[in-house]
Amino acid sequence: MTTLQRQSTDLETDYVRDWKKKGGKVLGYACVATPVEIIEAAGVLPYRIKAFGHPDTELGDAYLARFNCRFCRSCLQLGLEGSYDFLDGLVETNGCDHLRGMFENWQHVKEYDFFHYLKVPHFLRDDSLEYFTEELALMRDAVAAFAGREITDDDLRAAIDTYDEVNAKLKRLYALREQVPPAVSGAEVMELVCTGSSMMGADFAAMLDEVLAEKENARVSGYKARLIIMGSATDEVDLIADIESTGALIAADALCFGSRAFWNREGEDGDPLRLLAERYLGHLFCPRMFTDYDRRIAYILDTAERAGVDGAIITYNKFCDLHGVEAVSQRMDLEKAGIPVLVLEKDYGSQADTGRIKTRVQAFLERLGK
Amino acid sequence: MYYGGIDVGSLTAQAVLINGKGIHAYKSMGVKPNPVQSAKAVVDMLIQEENVPWSQVKFCVSTGYGREQVQAEGLSQDNMSEISCHGMGASFLVPEARTVIDIGGQDAKVIRIGPGGELIDFVMNDKCAAGTGRFLEVQARTLGLSLDELGTVSLGAEKVLELSSRCSIFCETEVLHYLQRGHSKADIAAGVNRAMAERVAALVRRVGLEKEVTMSGGVAKNVAVRAELERMLNVRLIKYGADSQIVGALGAALMARRMGGNS
Repeated sequence: MTTLQRQSTDLETDYVRDWKKKGGKVLGYACVATPVEIIEAAGVLPYRIKAFGHPDTELGDAYLARFNCRFCRSCLQLGLEGSYDFLDGLVETNGCDHLRGMFENWQHVKEYDFFHYLKVPHFLRDDSLEYFTEELALMRDAVAAFAGREITDDDLRAAIDTYDEVNAKLKRLYALREQVPPAVSGAEVMELVCTGSSMMGADFAAMLDEVLAEKENARVSGYKARLIIMGSATDEVDLIADIESTGALIAADALCFGSRAFWNREGEDGDPLRLLAERYLGHLFCPRMFTDYDRRIAYILDTAERAGVDGAIITYNKFCDLHGVEAVSQRMDLEKAGIPVLVLEKDYGSQADTGRIKTRVQAFLERLGK
Repeated sequence: MYYGGIDVGSLTAQAVLINGKGIHAYKSMGVKPNPVQSAKAVVDMLIQEENVPWSQVKFCVSTGYGREQVQAEGLSQDNMSEISCHGMGASFLVPEARTVIDIGGQDAKVIRIGPGGELIDFVMNDKCAAGTGRFLEVQARTLGLSLDELGTVSLGAEKVLELSSRCSIFCETEVLHYLQRGHSKADIAAGVNRAMAERVAALVRRVGLEKEVTMSGGVAKNVAVRAELERMLNVRLIKYGADSQIVGALGAALMARRMGGNS
């Protein structure tokens, strides 16, 4: 059994249970713009909210509407039904309105003792970086009060160093997937990114060492086409596995539970909060960032070229305003660059839709002559 | 030597046998709960009624939503998506076709094909039943008409009633509302067929219309939907010289002939 397969896709993993048993605190967050280094620097476990298990959404529907994205409704369902009762608090961002609705209804019903709203600017400019640095200082103070300890600049630098290590190892994993033949599949990579988002950085880095050693000489064979996938927030390992079951290999991604969570988060600065502001706001490849489309598409095209893909899949959840709109420009620009595109609009976690998704992907591969 | 195509859809299953000259035989039937049972039943029917030993079928391709299970059961040697198969089948029947509108029981697809029937682009409806055969089925049942009658009855309409909802279930309440207010079945049926055509025309516009245009699947038999589509898209939908429901299975058989070494 490989390291990857041993990792659970349960919400409350053994790792989290052990952490809690030792008296550790856990803070939930959902948006990729949340600097986990600040949470780690306080000795608290940052936990990225996921909707594993594809639950029903009756409770979520009672507080949100059917025209909210189902990923958010599913997360809310899990929060309200008690699956996330191991969390000690939540950090919300203005990532998108659906996400905000999810968090605020959750807080309204469950009334966590700790709830922090991190305001993330929608522009990347000098003044927005300054603003975001100030927001991060507020977050540091709030998390420090919650953890009952000070967060020093040295604490922050240590956490930043840890995530530099994590990010470098994730890049190595991505290189193993991009190589021909690849050493790891797209589903395995997403599983690992999801698993790591429930762990302290140092432990994730250690697990990545184990995975990299295991996978170094592994080879994935039998695939017909190499694809890049991009789109809205999804932790659906099953979706990637279903796509790959048709003969596609997800050789690269620009996903929120994927490369967008760690790519190019580099930079040097004396002030750790300013450095975090630059790293997160400066590498936030998300359509919630206004006037930043050119950088996003350049990042996608670079990734596609590096991985030598035959085609692209743009996938988004129904009612995802950000990615639903951006899909149009992305499709046009990818096709202009000679990369055929399949647009997959889907309901989050809908297993009943698997057959229809596979039909479209299979037809796309046939269209590519694969 | 024969080549076979088996198409197991959501409502009907088809089997087609071709030889070097063209279509040798075909059969169509309503599906059973399990796609493998459906495939076996329609193949048995074809073998018995046409007296063709299956051992003479050199290569068979399955398509439709049960395609993988049919292959896993050994009834076919390979499987292809119904999107490619409909394109290939339509191109065989109408070589000049470049756009294929395929409306089945739960799917609507618009397929752009090249001169050899190769797949160029496609668009498929999402999960919603609007624009699929199921939509017509629900509204026909509410009107107390058979699916076949839905098209013909509407030809006698004095005016086409508007159905504003895109959702099949909400549309059903609109149909009921019109019935309760005493509107004629013909006028309501005409509204149903127009609503259906509007949804499909929107799909066609998404993929882009290129002449010539054909229509396959069960809904292609509804004369009113065809007429509405022709009016909305300003095209003539070329009719096949064969049953519109066998186009997918025919495409699968053509794929089988190609894979089996005889293009």
